[in-house]
Amino acid sequence: MEGWTGVATWKWIANDDNCGICRMAFDGCCPDCKLPGDDCPLVWGQCSHVFHMHCIVKWLQSQSTNSPCPMCRQEWKWKAG
Amino acid sequence: MTTPARRRLMRDFKRLQEDPPAGVSGAPSDNNIMLWNAVIFGPHDTPFEDGTFKLTIEFTEEYPNKPPTVRFISKMFHPNVYADGSICLDILQNRWSPTYDVSAILTSIQSLLHDPNPNSPANYEAAQLYRETRREYEKKVAAIVQESWNDDDDEDDDEGEEEENNILNLMELDNVITNLMLPLFQSLLDEPNPNSPANNLAAKLYQENRREYEKKVKVIVEESWIFIGEV
Repeated sequence: MEGWTGVATWKWIANDDNCGICRMAFDGCCPDCKLPGDDCPLVWGQCSHVFHMHCIVKWLQSQSTNSPCPMCRQEWKWKAG
Repeated sequence: MTTPARRRLMRDFKRLQEDPPAGVSGAPSDNNIMLWNAVIFGPHDTPFEDGTFKLTIEFTEEYPNKPPTVRFISKMFHPNVYADGSICLDILQNRWSPTYDVSAILTSIQSLLHDPNPNSPANYEAAQLYRETRREYEKKVAAIVQESWNDDDDEDDDEGEEEENNILNLMELDNVITNLMLPLFQSLLDEPNPNSPANNLAAKLYQENRREYEKKVKVIVEESWIFIGEV
């Protein structure tokens, strides 16, 4: 054997396949990014709903007063680590 | 140029085509994906039944973080629809969520036709009649159901102010028929109902001599290509 090439696959572990905001696959990236992975991470709320980080941040910033989870309307609270 | 809003709208369109909700239809206008035309069929068992109500949906680059502006272009008589066609519906205002898409918007408006909310009236007369003289309300609705069948071209004849609205110009009838109406009739081609025949020969052949029926259909399938070529 003269050499070998390693191949790895990865996958976000989320309950859903698509981000509810942009409707793109979680294994892909949000519409503002080009490459999926650590640069376009997923984030969870305490309500257990999950979105692309960039998508939920844009939503929260577009809200002037309250900032509900787009899925369940509970106040959005980041789930720690 | 693709932007997040435009990409999301392409997804919305794809979803609407792959998984079309009953009785509603929508498509981007020919040259602008930010402006959609839509049709809502009046729901069964409501005074709006059989109406074909046309709407426009206008998106901004902030979609889906901001809701689109939705307006009835067909004349409407409903407690929650303003005279200019704009709609008083919480999910299009303060209860908007970025998880909604065109499909969700259209089905929500369809259910608003089903269940008006007379407590937040946009049309006082409609709200009052709805509450107090339901029969009179239904009469008024029946009139706008009839009007909804008229061609869009004639619609603004008696209402000069609407002519200024250039959205109407984009609402070309051809576009409405090909993009919006046809999907609703497609299922009829799939499953003819020979019990209420409009064409006796076709119904008879369909029931008794399927092979002859298919032969005849094949002929008009071929003719349909020639027609397109001539146009």
